Amino acid sequence: MTDLLEALRAPICGIVGVRCDTWYLFVDPNIVRFFGEGLLATLELAVVSVILSFVVGLLFALGRVSRRAWIRWPAIAYIELIRALPVLLLIVYFGIKGTALFRPILEPILGEDFELSGFWAGVLGLSLYTSAVLAEIIRAGIISLPKGQTEAAAALGLSYVQQMRHVILPQALRLMVPAMMGQLTTVIKDTSLVATIGMFELVRQGRVIYTQFFNPIEVFVVTGAIYFVICFALSQGSRRLEVQAPTEAKVLLEEIQLRDQVA
Amino acid sequence: MPGAIILEFPLNFLGFVPGGAIPLGAAAKGMVMTLQLSLLGFGGALALGTVIALVRVSPLPPLRWIGTAYVELFRNTPLLVQLFFLFFGPVRFSSDTFENIFRAAAVGMALYHGAYVAEVVRGGLIGIEKGQIEAARSLGLSYVQTLRYIQLPQTFRATVPPLGNIGIALVKNTSLASTIGVAELLQGAELVESRTFRAEEAFGAAVIIYLILTIPASLGVNWLERRLLIAR
Repeated sequence: MTDLLEALRAPICGIVGVRCDTWYLFVDPNIVRFFGEGLLATLELAVVSVILSFVVGLLFALGRVSRRAWIRWPAIAYIELIRALPVLLLIVYFGIKGTALFRPILEPILGEDFELSGFWAGVLGLSLYTSAVLAEIIRAGIISLPKGQTEAAAALGLSYVQQMRHVILPQALRLMVPAMMGQLTTVIKDTSLVATIGMFELVRQGRVIYTQFFNPIEVFVVTGAIYFVICFALSQGSRRLEVQAPTEAKVLLEEIQLRDQVA
Repeated sequence: MPGAIILEFPLNFLGFVPGGAIPLGAAAKGMVMTLQLSLLGFGGALALGTVIALVRVSPLPPLRWIGTAYVELFRNTPLLVQLFFLFFGPVRFSSDTFENIFRAAAVGMALYHGAYVAEVVRGGLIGIEKGQIEAARSLGLSYVQTLRYIQLPQTFRATVPPLGNIGIALVKNTSLASTIGVAELLQGAELVESRTFRAEEAFGAAVIIYLILTIPASLGVNWLERRLLIAR
């Protein structure tokens, strides 16, 4: 029986280039730990980027719905310009120039041998893009609220800031939780791009393994499966939470889902 | 002087760097490659996505499961991993010539974006009310006439803006092909940067070309979206 399996396995593995003899690697505790470290780095990168982007995105969303043109137009320019660029371009740029850009500010604090790590270059690139997308998602939340909300708040004597702080934003943000979860899925997929500037996350850890054992196909099957489990769970979750929004906001959300969350 | 840099950079990018030898027109070549990859990938994605959408609305459950599995699998894994998979699988085991790598990148684009196209087309197909088809048939329109005058115009109108959005995403995503060695726009910029160490000019030029490719498309799609919004 074993001989038969061996006889069958050898030619199959030869033809498609699959090294069946390396599957055992993926249950080896050391390799599992190695992948675990990569996964942890991936998640850390995604979470830090999303938190940073949420803060920046909230500011730009508020800027974009502002009634003052000198606030509104720069916000629109930022959002639309960044959304028109590939994330990878931003990441590669910060990977190459990040250290030089931040040296003047950070050298006095961190010392002579300051160098922007792959992690922070990745965070910068990802956050720049994600903040523009989150700004649009938050704006969709704001415009999906009925006008009566603002009017009632104004009639109660609340100032613009108070209206936003106590009436509009709490509702808008709650409404947009599914869309933001969708964006988290995209960010997790996009963290793989940071491997290209040398950060050791899931894909890069995989690369270390396949350069040693010559089994790229197996490595990418396993890496893909890890991403799939996380992203599938998140996207199912966000679909379950999906809410009804008015038409205009819905069109904006659909646009974001296809233009920005396909990355 | 900041003005000087702005005046300089398009020239630098096209290869006229004083004291530096750059393959002439790295940017132009990269742009052509990006466009080729986008068009091929988008054509493939539209064809594949339509087939998958038809599979997903088919009356046979096993076919539907296959369609669903395809869509979920390709949407929930990073495009980079899919491209690497194609690169280390089919490409490495035939031959890694430039043509093969380019083909693999185009196939990767089509496979990944096809999953998103499938969802849009499926939405368009199941979006039309049954009553409309029944009404058309009872008015004496044939099956083909119903398809031609009732179903297709509505599906088409409803799916053009979302498909346009996927196309814009695809143009941006072609930058990932640089990681497996396709000399498209981003790789052109990286090449120029590595030869001249002038990142601002190299990436600035790439940024401008990406904006030229995506901004008019975005404006067009937004215009269509607004028109559809009024029509609803």
